[in-house]
Amino acid sequence: MDRFELRRQDFSLDEDQKALQTSVAEFFAKQCPTGTVRAAEPLGFDEDLWRRVLDLGVASMSLPEARGGDDATLVDLVLIAEELGRAVAPVPLVGHAVATRLLARAGASDEVLAPAARGDRVFALAPAAVRNGRRQLVPDAAVAADVLALSGDKLALHSAAGPAPHVANQGSTPLAWWAPDPGQERVVLAVGDEARDLHRAAVAEWRLLTAAALVGLTEAALHLAVEFAKTRRTMGVPIGTLQGVAFPLADVAIAVSGARNLVWKAAWLTEHEPGSRPELPLMAFDYAVRTATHGTTTSAHMQGGLGFTAEADASLYFLRAKGWSLLAVGPGENLQDIGDLITGTD
Amino acid sequence: MDFGTIELTPEQQEFADEVRSFLDALVTPDVLEHERAHGDGFNERVHLALGSRGWLTPQWSPEDGGAGLDPLRRRILELELQRHRVPDITAGTTNLVWTAVDRFADPSLRDELAPRVADGTARFCLGYTDPEGGSDIAASRLRAVRDGDEWVLNGAKMFTTGAQNCQYTFLIARTDPELPKHKGLTMFLVPLAAPGVEIQAIRTFGGERTNAVYYGDVRISDRYRLGGVNDGWAVLHGPLDEEHSVGTASDGLADPSVGRSFLRPLEVALDETLAWARETGPDGSRPVDDPSVVARLARVAVELEAGVVTPGPMGRVKGSLAIVEGAAELLDLTGAVGLLSPGADGALGDGDVDFAHRWAQGTATYGGTVEVFRTIIAQHVLGLPRAGYPGSKVLM
Ligand SMILES: Cc1cc2nc3c(=O)[nH]c(=O)nc-3n(C[C@H](O)[C@H](O)[C@H](O)COP(=O)(O)OP(=O)(O)OC[C@H]3O[C@@H](n4cnc5c(N)ncnc54)[C@H](O)[C@@H]3O)c2cc1C
Repeated sequence: MDRFELRRQDFSLDEDQKALQTSVAEFFAKQCPTGTVRAAEPLGFDEDLWRRVLDLGVASMSLPEARGGDDATLVDLVLIAEELGRAVAPVPLVGHAVATRLLARAGASDEVLAPAARGDRVFALAPAAVRNGRRQLVPDAAVAADVLALSGDKLALHSAAGPAPHVANQGSTPLAWWAPDPGQERVVLAVGDEARDLHRAAVAEWRLLTAAALVGLTEAALHLAVEFAKTRRTMGVPIGTLQGVAFPLADVAIAVSGARNLVWKAAWLTEHEPGSRPELPLMAFDYAVRTATHGTTTSAHMQGGLGFTAEADASLYFLRAKGWSLLAVGPGENLQDIGDLITGTD
Repeated sequence: MDFGTIELTPEQQEFADEVRSFLDALVTPDVLEHERAHGDGFNERVHLALGSRGWLTPQWSPEDGGAGLDPLRRRILELELQRHRVPDITAGTTNLVWTAVDRFADPSLRDELAPRVADGTARFCLGYTDPEGGSDIAASRLRAVRDGDEWVLNGAKMFTTGAQNCQYTFLIARTDPELPKHKGLTMFLVPLAAPGVEIQAIRTFGGERTNAVYYGDVRISDRYRLGGVNDGWAVLHGPLDEEHSVGTASDGLADPSVGRSFLRPLEVALDETLAWARETGPDGSRPVDDPSVVARLARVAVELEAGVVTPGPMGRVKGSLAIVEGAAELLDLTGAVGLLSPGADGALGDGDVDFAHRWAQGTATYGGTVEVFRTIIAQHVLGLPRAGYPGSKVLM
């Protein structure tokens, strides 16, 4: 890599992107107050909200026009995911969008793709390759009967009669144990290297969109803490005047601003120059995960004992910081993937 | 949003090639060797050569001694200067100070200095930091007392980097100790050749040379005052905001982070460590065969990448943190071999990891410490309330 290469470094949004960002932000602010988030616990799925999200067209918009989409880019998707994260919205958008795009990229028939693009059913992606038919935790599998998985050298869509049983978890997400069932209906989408490459690209997209969601989530948590610090007082002054409070919050702001830019850059390059920096989406994920972990901890802590109560909204962000991060393959494994790419030791 | 490469027109390409071959010839190994040994942040031969091309003030028109470069050509030049590791500290401080000279200097002084800034014969350093403390610039104590058409300066400044290679220092002085502290300050452009100025070298463990500058009954003409008497705080603000990167709009080409340059030595050190990790070591194995090594290298690379994109004043803190933590981690990975000095038997590259770790520490301090920047972020980005200390600025 030429570290002095002449490239644009334009982080600005165009009018369409700004309009998209604003409309999605307004949508979630209105349709998904924190009460809605709590009401959807412990499953983490609000079917009503999901319908309304689908009505916005966000599940299919990033499909090619020829496949019933709007050719929206990965950049549009990360903008949407960030707003979803800000609202900690209990909808399986990230996994579903990634699965839908994977189906399209694998050249699935219209018959297979259409229900995903329309959102008739929720589709999920099994993040890890299936080994010896062993079960794995699959995000959204408690609300999705259709799971895309890589087993052996085949990428296939497995459709069961219904979703798998929910397992209670820290982030209140629709997580479930899932394993391919020999009796299930199975559509093979790709085999061999193609199957592996498609799966790897989808997992990278999952991590990137999750990173975007974590940026929004962390910024929302930070915002709560900042507002608290402006009014909460100690020894006659607002706590926000104390450097012991202000500096940690400034550090969260630093991390959030960098994580967002890293997500945007990774999304743009993945979209427009696929393969040029394959490590970037994974780097964005690693950084966003740490930003969320540290940022939500700090934000809760700066609200003192109140921030530690289940009742405080700070808890919603804290519990999902890890609750969302660990779904698309653990960050430890992600770090190994980055290392393999930068050292060339795949 | 756009992170793409830029297709150059034949003329632009010709310019890029010209810059590159000019710098290839100009920045000889002895320039880099001198910089490593002395840490001047300046090389006179290189500086004057750049001046002869108008490249010290690239945006100025050729009539004014510049090169009339558009933003794209300026960016090409900037990247090539970085690629060639041109010592640029004094060029940078000169540019910062020029904004204030341009706006506030007596017109005859301004007109006299403009062509010399462009050709490289007039150079400016920053005389902000007092021996008693630099973060609180407005607490500056160095005294300037009026005597007819002259001012008499007495006191000292610490860390006037580049003073040994500059003709003038941009000095903040106390002209009225009775007024509230932000109000009794005046800025001067002090000729360093004036009798009574004494420059003493200070070395850092990062390899830089900076200076303590003593002023003993230094008499300068009122002509060297910038802006109004006791109006120094306003004069200082332009260059200071620029140094802090407050309120600068992006043209889509510039680095988003003010701390971008902090990361250059980390890049070199990381690439050096990656090369080391791929080599077979004394025990017959390669460090990259150990997954924990790979993961730790990955983490440093992520921090570097995050530093590159973190915007504005946030990027200043992040850039510093990334190299401070990253270089230490790279040393821990390489082990003792990373500590070897350049030229020592078995040293890694040019001792790049050793250098990055030492040099990194200064990034947390100069140009405003990371604590000063966290204060700026807390107040101006997050909108947190300002603390009321005895020395806080009184706005009314
Ligand atoms: C290599 C180098 C080159 C330099 N070049 C120049 C130059 O060219 N011109 C120039 O004028 N100066 C220069 N400086 C000086 C630099 O700007 C100062 O060192 C810096 O502003 C800090 O001032 P100080 O060293 O006096 O530390 P102090 O201000 O005394 O600070 C000591 C410690 O306290 C912390 N601190 C101070 N105030 C606060 C606060 N309000 N809130 C929280 N923490 C605080 C600081 O962050 C620091 O960690 C240079 C310094 C170095 C190391």
